[in-house]
Amino acid sequence: MAKLGKFHHYKRKDNIAGYLFLAPWIFGFLLMWLIPAIISIYYSFTDFNLLNTPSVIGLGNYQRIFTQDDTFWQALKVTFTYVLLLVPLRLAFALFVAMLLNQKHKGLGLYRTLYYVPSIIGGSIAVSIVWKQLFGNKGVMMSLLGLLGIQQKTSLLGNPRTALMVIVIMGVWQFGSSMLIFLSALKQIPYSLYESAMVDGGKPWQVFTRITLPMLTPTIFFNLILQIINGFRVFTESYVITDGGPLDSTLSYVLYLYRRAFTYFDMGYSCALAWVLVAIIAVFTVILFKTQNNWVHYES
Amino acid sequence: MEKRTMALLLSMGMAASLLTGCGGGNTDSGSTAAAGENSGAVTTTGAAEGGSGDAVTLKFTWWGSQSRHDYTQKILDAYTAEHPDITFEAVPAGWDGYFDKLSTEAASGSMPDIVQMDYLYISTYAKNNSIADLQPYIDDKTIDVSGIDEALLNSANINGKMAGLVLSTSLVTFPYNPEVLEKAGVAEPDSSWTWDDFIALNQKLKEAGVTDAAVINPTLDTNLFHYWVCQHGGKLFADDQKSLGYADDQILVDYIRMFKDAMDQDLVPTPDEMGQIDTLGLEAGPVVTGEGAFTQNWNNYSTLVAKANDKIKMVTPPTIGADDKKGLWMKPGMFLSISETSPHKKEAAEFINWFLNSETANDIMMAERGTPSSSMARDYLSNSGKMAPWQQDMFAYVDMAAKMAGETPAPDPTGMSEVNKVFADACNAAFYDQMSPEDAAASFRKKADEILTRNN
Amino acid sequence: MRKKEQIHSVTFHVGACLLGFIMIYPLLWLLASSFKSNDVMFQDAYSLIPKVWDAATNYKSGLEGVGGVSFGTFFMNTIVVTIAGTAGCVFISLLAAYAFTRIKFWGSGFLFGCVMMTMMIPPQVMVVPQYIILKKLGLIDTRIALVLPWFFGGAFFIFLMVQFFRGIPRELDEAAMIDGCGKAGILFRVLVPVVKPALVTASIFAFYWIWQDFFQPLIFMSTTKKFTISLALNMYLDPNSYNNYGGLFAMSVISLLPVVIFFIIFQKYLVDGIAMDGIKG
Repeated sequence: MAKLGKFHHYKRKDNIAGYLFLAPWIFGFLLMWLIPAIISIYYSFTDFNLLNTPSVIGLGNYQRIFTQDDTFWQALKVTFTYVLLLVPLRLAFALFVAMLLNQKHKGLGLYRTLYYVPSIIGGSIAVSIVWKQLFGNKGVMMSLLGLLGIQQKTSLLGNPRTALMVIVIMGVWQFGSSMLIFLSALKQIPYSLYESAMVDGGKPWQVFTRITLPMLTPTIFFNLILQIINGFRVFTESYVITDGGPLDSTLSYVLYLYRRAFTYFDMGYSCALAWVLVAIIAVFTVILFKTQNNWVHYES
Repeated sequence: MEKRTMALLLSMGMAASLLTGCGGGNTDSGSTAAAGENSGAVTTTGAAEGGSGDAVTLKFTWWGSQSRHDYTQKILDAYTAEHPDITFEAVPAGWDGYFDKLSTEAASGSMPDIVQMDYLYISTYAKNNSIADLQPYIDDKTIDVSGIDEALLNSANINGKMAGLVLSTSLVTFPYNPEVLEKAGVAEPDSSWTWDDFIALNQKLKEAGVTDAAVINPTLDTNLFHYWVCQHGGKLFADDQKSLGYADDQILVDYIRMFKDAMDQDLVPTPDEMGQIDTLGLEAGPVVTGEGAFTQNWNNYSTLVAKANDKIKMVTPPTIGADDKKGLWMKPGMFLSISETSPHKKEAAEFINWFLNSETANDIMMAERGTPSSSMARDYLSNSGKMAPWQQDMFAYVDMAAKMAGETPAPDPTGMSEVNKVFADACNAAFYDQMSPEDAAASFRKKADEILTRNN
Repeated sequence: MRKKEQIHSVTFHVGACLLGFIMIYPLLWLLASSFKSNDVMFQDAYSLIPKVWDAATNYKSGLEGVGGVSFGTFFMNTIVVTIAGTAGCVFISLLAAYAFTRIKFWGSGFLFGCVMMTMMIPPQVMVVPQYIILKKLGLIDTRIALVLPWFFGGAFFIFLMVQFFRGIPRELDEAAMIDGCGKAGILFRVLVPVVKPALVTASIFAFYWIWQDFFQPLIFMSTTKKFTISLALNMYLDPNSYNNYGGLFAMSVISLLPVVIFFIIFQKYLVDGIAMDGIKG
C-alpha cells in the first residue's frame, strides 16, 4: 500500500503544502511512534528485562517464539478464533440494529443512547462483575440453559470450551460504535434509489442486496478494517473478565505479551511478540486494501 | 539533542499556527490550549528544582486502598512535623498497575526513593541492582532490627544483599467460622489436626448441610503447596534456584489427588466455583456470610473481614500426622526498599526505621499493613489498649504459630510469578480432567525448571 | 392497514426496549450498587434493589477523594486533559486527513501506511520507550504527557476523516480555488462546514477515549493532585485489603455522567455525522 513515486512527478507547491499540513502529525509520529517503535524493535533483539542494561542476543527471541513457546501458539489460536467470530457477528448485529433504527418511530434518540452505553462503560470493574455474575454458575445464563434442558456442572465462564464464547458475546454486546457508523451511512442512501427499486417490484430482500448493501460497502470496509485491527489487539475483555483463564482458553495475544513484559520481566521477548503481531495484522490489512477495488463502491 | 528537539517542537508549533492562522474560525481554541499546557510544564519543572538545599524531599510509593492512602499521608505529615527538613512526595497507587509503573520507572532510572515492595518481585529488583543494600544502615544502627526475627529479616537477603526491610509477618492460616461449626455440631480444630481430620471434618459439615465446606483455592499461588512440600521434608526450590527442590513428583501428585477428591465430594470448590466466589470479594465470601466453614488465607484475614463479621477464628493449617515435619514458616508480608538511584539513602533509611519502630507511626498505622514484624511494635500495640479483639487474635496467632514454625526457606527465586502461573495451569488441567495428576506433576516440573533456569 | 401498522409499532418498541434493557443492565447495576451499603455490597449482588441503602456514605466517601486530594480535583484534571486532548487530536487529524485526500504530494501513500501502522502496534510495548522520551523532554508527571500522545496518536480519526473527505465532491474545492482561496482557506472556509458532523463524531469518540484512558496515564503520572478520574478510581482498590467498593461505584457513576451527557447532546450530530459517502452537490 505504500509506494514511493518519483519526487519530481509532484508539484513543488503541493509537496510543500502537503508536508505543512502534515507537519504536526509527522512531528508527533516521529516523537511518540517512530522513535519508540525503533527502540522497541531494538529491544526485541535483546534480553531486556526492564531492569537490566539490554544486551543484544540476535534472533534469539524470535527463535524462542516459534520453536519453544507453546503459549504463543495458544494465544494466537485464541486471538484468531476471537477475530473470526467477533468481527462478522458484531458487524452483522450492528447492521441489523442500525436497519431497525433506520425506520420512522418515536424515541429513536433514546434507543441510540441505550445501545451506545455499553461502548461507553467499556471494561470497567462494574462490567466485569456483572458479566461474571450473568455467566457464572449461579447466574441467569445457567438458569436459562437449565430451562432449555441443558444441565451443566461447570459455568460457561469456567469451562475452557465455552469461556471464549462469553468474551465474544461481550464483544458483540459492545456493538454501539459500529451501529452508529452504519446508521449514518444508511441515512445517506438517497431515498430515490429505493423508490425506483420499489417501482420495479423488488422484494425487500432484493432491495437490500442490490441497493443497501452495495451503497454500504465503504462503511463496511471502514468498519471491517477497524474491527480486525482492534480484534487482533483485544486486551481489556480477557483481562478484566477471565484474566486469560480457565487454562489459557481466553488468553488473548496482547494479554500474553503484556504479561511477558510486565509480570514476567521479559520485555525483549514481549517486543518480539508485538512485532510478530504487527506483521500478522499488516498482512490482513494490506490484503483488504488490495481487494478494495473489487467490492467497495465509492461514489466519486 | 534535547535542545534540538525542543527547537523542532517550537518550529513545528509555529508552522501549525501559521497554517491555521489563515483559516480563521477554530484556531484560537487550539493555540490557547497549547499555550496553557506549556506554562504548566514550566511551573512543574520549577517546583522540582526548588527542592535543593538542606531540605530533602523523599519520594515514597506504595499500593493500597483508600484508607491506607489516607493514614499513610498522616504518617508522612507526622514525620515532617518531627523532622522539618524532610518532606515527602507521596505516590499512592492501587495494586493494579503498581508494578508495571515501578518497572517502567526503573527502566529509565527514576524509581522513587522509598518503595513498598512485594515478596513476589523483590529478588528480581535486587538481582538487577535496582534496589539498594540496606545492610550498611542496619550495621550502623540507622535501622534498628533488634525486634525482628532473624529468619524473617533474612527473607529479603538476596545474594548477600539486604534488599528490603520486612514490615509485617504472614503465616499460612486456615480461618474458620465458629458459628457454622457449632451449628453443624462439629468441634473446632486445634493446631494438632491432620489433613485426614480436615477431610473428615468437612465431610461432616457437608452432611450437616453446609454448602461450601472448605473454600480453598489450592492453586491461588504456590504458598499452600510450598507448605505441603516442607511438611513432606522437601524444599520447593533447589539451593541454586535453577530447578525445583523436591525430587519425587509423587508429592505433587498426592496434593492434586487430595484436592481433586475433595472437589469430587463437593467439599472444596472447583476452580470454576472458586472463580465465582472470588468475585464476591473477601468481605462477602462464604465463610464470612456463614455459607462456608473454612478457608485458607493469611493471618490478617480476620482483621480484613472484621467489618462484615468479627467472629472469625483462625487455626494453623493441618499437619500430616504424628511424625510431622514442621512445614510452617514466617513469611514476609511486605517490604520497604530503597532504590539504588536514590540520592538520599541515609534519610530514607532513617525514615524506614521510624516507620517500623516508632510509636507515632504505629499508633496511626494500627497494624493495617499486617502484623508488624518488629516485636517492639507488636508489644507497644498490644499494651496500648487500642486494639480490637480481632487484632489481638491476629497477634496471638503469630505468637502461637511461631512456636510451630520450622526452618524458613530461602527467598523466592526470580520468575516466581511465572512459576505460580504454570503451577496453577498444571493443577487445574488435572482438576478439569484434562490431564492425569501424574502428567500434571511432570508438566509442572518441566515448565518450572525451564523458567527457573532461564531466570536464575 | 392501520391496525397492522400499530402492531408493527408495538412490536418494534417492545423489542427495542427489551434490547435496551440488556444493553443498559450493567449501568443500572452500577447505579444500584452505588446506593448499597459497602459492608453488605456483594451479599445481594444479584439484586438491582439495595437491601441496605447507604448512598450518602458512598457518595460522601467517594467525593472526599483519596490521599488528601478531593474528587473534584480529579474531575477538573480530567476535564482539562480531555478537552485539550480532544481539541488537539481532532484538529491535527483534520489537517492530516485533508493533506492525504486533497493534496498530491511525494510520499503520501507511504505516510498513510504509517498512519495505519500506528493503529496496529500494541501500546503495551510502546509505553517504556515513550516514557524514556517524555522523561528526556522533562514532561513526565505533567499534563502535557497525558495530552501529547492524543495530539499525534489519532490514526483512527485520520482514517475516519479520510473516508469522509473522499465522499465530498472535488468540485467544491475547485470552485473555491477560482474564488481565490488558498489551501487553508479551502479547508477552513469550504470543507470544515461540510464535514462539521464528522468533526463532532470524532470529538465524541475522542472525548470518551481520553476520558477513560488508563494505562498511559498510570505510567506517566505520579503526583496524586494531577491524577485523572480513571487513575483515582484505581486507587480505591487493593485486592488484599478492605476495599471501599461503595465509594468506587459512586464515583464511577459520577465519572460516567459527563460522557453520557456529552453523548446525549451530540448523538443527533453523530448520526448525521458519520457520512462515508453520498454527499451530493
